[in-house]
Amino acid sequence: MLMQFAASGFLLGSVYGLIALGFAVIYKATRVFNFAQGMLMAVGAYLAVTGSVALHLPVLGTFAFVILSAAVLGALIQTVLIRPLAGRPLLPMVMITIALSIILRASIELIYGGGGRTLNLALPSGSVLIGPVRISAIHVTAAAVSWLCMGLFMAFFRFSKAGLLMRATADSHEAAVLSGVNANRINALAWALGTVLAAIGGLFLGQLQLASVELEAIGLLALPAVVIGGLQSIPGAIIGGLLVGLIEQLASGYISPKARDIFIYVPLLLILLVRPWGLLGERELGRV
Amino acid sequence: MISNRLRLLLAGVTLCFAGVAHAAGFESPQDGVYADHIDWGMTADMSGPSSGAQNPWGQGFQTAMKVVNARGGVNGRSINVLVEDTRYDATAERVAYEKFVSQTPTLGTSGMGNSSAQTAMIPLIKRAKLPVLGTYTTAKATVEPPTPYFYGGFCGFKEMAQVGVGFFTDHLSLKSPKVALVRLDVASGKEFAGYVEASVTARGGTFKDIPIKVVAADATPQVLEILAMKPDFVAIHGVTTTSILVMKGLAQYGLTAPAFAITYLGTPSVYESLGPDAGKNYSFVSCFSPASSDPKASAAMSAAADQYGQGKLKDDVNFVAGWVIGNMVADAIAKAGAEPTREKLSQMVNAGFTANTGGLSSELKYTPTDHLGLVGLKPLSYDYGTKSFRSYGDYADFTKYLN
Repeated sequence: MLMQFAASGFLLGSVYGLIALGFAVIYKATRVFNFAQGMLMAVGAYLAVTGSVALHLPVLGTFAFVILSAAVLGALIQTVLIRPLAGRPLLPMVMITIALSIILRASIELIYGGGGRTLNLALPSGSVLIGPVRISAIHVTAAAVSWLCMGLFMAFFRFSKAGLLMRATADSHEAAVLSGVNANRINALAWALGTVLAAIGGLFLGQLQLASVELEAIGLLALPAVVIGGLQSIPGAIIGGLLVGLIEQLASGYISPKARDIFIYVPLLLILLVRPWGLLGERELGRV
Repeated sequence: MISNRLRLLLAGVTLCFAGVAHAAGFESPQDGVYADHIDWGMTADMSGPSSGAQNPWGQGFQTAMKVVNARGGVNGRSINVLVEDTRYDATAERVAYEKFVSQTPTLGTSGMGNSSAQTAMIPLIKRAKLPVLGTYTTAKATVEPPTPYFYGGFCGFKEMAQVGVGFFTDHLSLKSPKVALVRLDVASGKEFAGYVEASVTARGGTFKDIPIKVVAADATPQVLEILAMKPDFVAIHGVTTTSILVMKGLAQYGLTAPAFAITYLGTPSVYESLGPDAGKNYSFVSCFSPASSDPKASAAMSAAADQYGQGKLKDDVNFVAGWVIGNMVADAIAKAGAEPTREKLSQMVNAGFTANTGGLSSELKYTPTDHLGLVGLKPLSYDYGTKSFRSYGDYADFTKYLN
């Protein structure tokens, strides 16, 4: 059973890691704690419903539709809502993202109705037995795509010009601007990427169960993942996601589903008390 | 000169007209009754966590009222439904009820799909005396013992458990059934678990209670517990997402034991999401009949659903429930007379009231000692080939399991 839980935890944690990565990208670039990340994930699931059911797109077409739509949405959010408040205190920024989450939820319900929607993309189904461990093809696919996205993003962040500019802007906003970097464009790109990553996670979670606004609550598990891993650490977000997935499966399996939240949030509290910059984050030192 | 006989005739006719004029002019704003319309309250979760089930119920209820009004209303009055979205929040439920009591008074109210709210509001309902007629769910505490002015409108968890366990035990020719129950860790889940356990142990079987969280991304721990037990069949209490996760998980592990779910989980969206592989082992028990399971009984409902843009919901058991309750409420208002008040309505229902549901549900009957209303249920499953629901028999075939 341990190996089964570990395998399930790893696969599910990969999806959490993807969503947490989107969260970390947004925070690292714009210093915004995006409470709407969970709802953006639900948006991804509904975009997949639109692509596959309303537009009758094939699987790859649906993926492309979700990615493009999410990117546009993310850039729009940054341009219209976040950019005007740049430089303001933390509270208005937090309230904006909370309000955004509520608005997105209400918009989904207006457009798609209150109930969930079935998402039946032509993705691999069935299961395979590897030793004592049985894993479903859809879980493997979700994890594989998540790792592919994370790998592509890491490569983009490290080796591309835009990624370099993004890192520069995140390290020192003022220096980047003085060097001629269009910080607004870079921040919009960060929001676009963060929203795309959440949307892809939402697509798979919607396929696993149902596209519904209640997916937001699952998406918000990315928050403890990113805090545990390190708010400003890209690898930390991924590792945090894996840890949350493993803890969830092991606690639910060996103790009870109620124990899940205790075993996820107690480490969160400890990290905030002892090492608030996270497992892989960097301690920030201020000069007075 | 007018003869005495003619005088008497004229006097009688005048009195009749006066009576009708008086009735037609009867108003009681504190009861939500006006000369040309009656206000009736409806609360449901239209946008919260259980909106997937309660929204269709609300649509069914309102569609029924639209049909009633299109036919001229009740005793010359149209029924004006005042809708409050309570988002599955007990506080919002209470606020809405109090609103219907005095702020925008209604003759009665229906819906109230939060069992925790119902239990908490029992003293308020007794004090305010605004009839609650036809609820979406029915908390045990509200009907055992019967709460005055409160009348349920959905299948009870006890009856769901009894019919589900009884039917599958006989259907599978079991002597001592081994039953696993996956249920939400909430009040109604614990209640259902108690009833399932009682039904199983009464048959000399063994029972395992497996909780799952409402917000679950995966059901592997639950599925592994079921696998370890190797049950004869599985019972499911939860929301649509958890039932989907459990059934897909069981299919993933190749477990083909049949499963039955509570009424709320017997919707087309669940079956569509499961697909034939996982869905072929999935049934549910219900006191309402989806349209496709009984086209003859549902003809009027289907036509109305199509007319009012709700055609996609007619196979949703929750929509059918709302439709049945809407018609029951209209029927009750009619029987309360031309000068209805809250008290008259309650007295009429409490004295003994049987609604004509046209075969779309089991018998819907209230008595002074039974405010649950719907007792009979039947198991149903889904035929993916014809994309229609099919029942395992008539409601009367399964009354033997009820006690």
